[in-house]
Amino acid sequence: MKPKSFPLFSYAFIIVGSVMMVFPFLEMLFSSFKGPADYNRLHYSLLPEKFETSNYAVAFEQLQLGLLFRNSVIKSVATTAIVLLTSSLAGYALTKLKFRGQKVVFRFILATMMFPAFLFLIPNFYIMVHFPFVGGNNWMGEGGDGGMAKYMLALILPFSVSAFGIFLMRQFMMTINDAYIEAARIDGASELRIFFTLILPMTVPALATLAIFEFIGSWNEFIWSLLMYTVNKDLATLPVGIQQLKSHLDANMTQPLVNAALVISTAPILIVFIILQKYYVRGMMNTGLKE
Amino acid sequence: MNGSSKLNRGQALLGWLFLSPVIVFYLIFFTIPLLFSLYLSFTEWGGFDLTLIEWVGLKNYKALFAADSTFLHPILTNTFVFAFGTVLISFVIALAVSYTITRLRFEGFWRTLYFLPTVTTVVAVGNVWLYLYNPTNGLINAVLNKLGVQSIKFLDDPTTALASIIVVGGWLGIGSSVLILTAGLKAIPEDYYEAATLEGAGLAAIYSKITLPLLKPSILFVLITSLIGGLQSFTLSLVMTKNGGPGNSTNVGGLEMYNQAFSYGNWGTASAMAFLLFICVFIVTIVQLTVFRRGGVESY
Repeated sequence: MKPKSFPLFSYAFIIVGSVMMVFPFLEMLFSSFKGPADYNRLHYSLLPEKFETSNYAVAFEQLQLGLLFRNSVIKSVATTAIVLLTSSLAGYALTKLKFRGQKVVFRFILATMMFPAFLFLIPNFYIMVHFPFVGGNNWMGEGGDGGMAKYMLALILPFSVSAFGIFLMRQFMMTINDAYIEAARIDGASELRIFFTLILPMTVPALATLAIFEFIGSWNEFIWSLLMYTVNKDLATLPVGIQQLKSHLDANMTQPLVNAALVISTAPILIVFIILQKYYVRGMMNTGLKE
Repeated sequence: MNGSSKLNRGQALLGWLFLSPVIVFYLIFFTIPLLFSLYLSFTEWGGFDLTLIEWVGLKNYKALFAADSTFLHPILTNTFVFAFGTVLISFVIALAVSYTITRLRFEGFWRTLYFLPTVTTVVAVGNVWLYLYNPTNGLINAVLNKLGVQSIKFLDDPTTALASIIVVGGWLGIGSSVLILTAGLKAIPEDYYEAATLEGAGLAAIYSKITLPLLKPSILFVLITSLIGGLQSFTLSLVMTKNGGPGNSTNVGGLEMYNQAFSYGNWGTASAMAFLLFICVFIVTIVQLTVFRRGGVESY
């Protein structure tokens, strides 16, 4: 029995708080239906005087939303798929196979988590643009025009391994009984077969958590994509394209269009999150676990 | 256990095969860049031709610590003010919210609402808050005007700009803190509350004698991880102010590093900044590891 005093006060507090959390989203949604005159009025109003749906069509045209959307989907889906593969392979190797050196590798992976991402922006930018033998580069990484940044891979490769993902998969695989694997080995199943047909299906809950976590993170990722965009404009993802092209539009027309674009870029991920939040929450909890 | 050396060798081979993507990745995107960047911090370089890298020893670091350097103040000061400010806002609100929603119906629903900003791209968050802060027709000034206060140019005024961004950063951080704190609260056994109620303890006594002490590991975890996040965060400043303006009033370490490298082409200076900022983050990380090794956060 929990103390249940002041339920009215509690509800009032939590509702006021919720309004403050949700309000900016409503602002974004309603402003996306405002015409230029409506938007530039001298006083505040949440609702548009007249709902102007044309912003969405114009945004698709002027902001190239189709291209941005496609890039975001490719980037997020590919990153997620690759991270699932690299994490589960590594997680399996670190728990279910016995060999010298695995402890050292795991310690190293844990240690990498202490190095924040901003530390790698500058060198990784150079490495991607001057990747040897890619995009016309020679073995020294020179002579090309953009290197890896000529391809979508530039948005994916630097995120293709996740220390958090390996950690998560390792934790989960530790709970799988070794007897399954021994039995399969006695039955003569190959090691690869054991991994793909026996172990992977057992880890679906962990994979789901990792997938939703990675997908949302990748969809929202901004800085790295922005850097690659400065090399190759074709690589613009939704956040980058909206932020960049915002400045190219007519200032008086811009904001409602940008809002429409933001709604289009935000809505899918909010829906994905709301549907699959159970898995996401589980992932967040795991970031708090230590060895 | 089958101890045959053939199986062992097979396992070792497979193990390294399975780990090979990870090892190659950490070589290309972790080890090499880390060393490269450390080396760059002792050089002057524009970021194009490797043969033009010029070794300058400690010059970049000395310049950052020089008396007229803007990096220590205001930039690094701003970084810490931003980090502590956002942590304070998000933590205090998250503690109150999580304490309340664990006692209400539809807990999951409330939690979802508070979590929405966390899964939204910073570009959307930053831009929407720009509208809310708008001096002519933004919501916040409309409310202030109703209360008889003159409009404030939140982001154009150096005295209010950083605070305005801290509010947004705090708002953003509430969700994940709520998540961890509610989990911590739910891990406290019901029996404790029952016993305390039977003993006639009041709400305040229960909160200070049972809830807070048992929630301590979660609280520490939230505070430290948010602080680490806050020290590195700069995309919000980038989206809302572009270059940390007006003046340097909203400039933070990560943003200055980013601009030094990619706007001004001072890769050496930028790398030195990255390592100084990293040392700040690293100190907090060490504190975190020590605290958790001693106290343990296994409670949730």
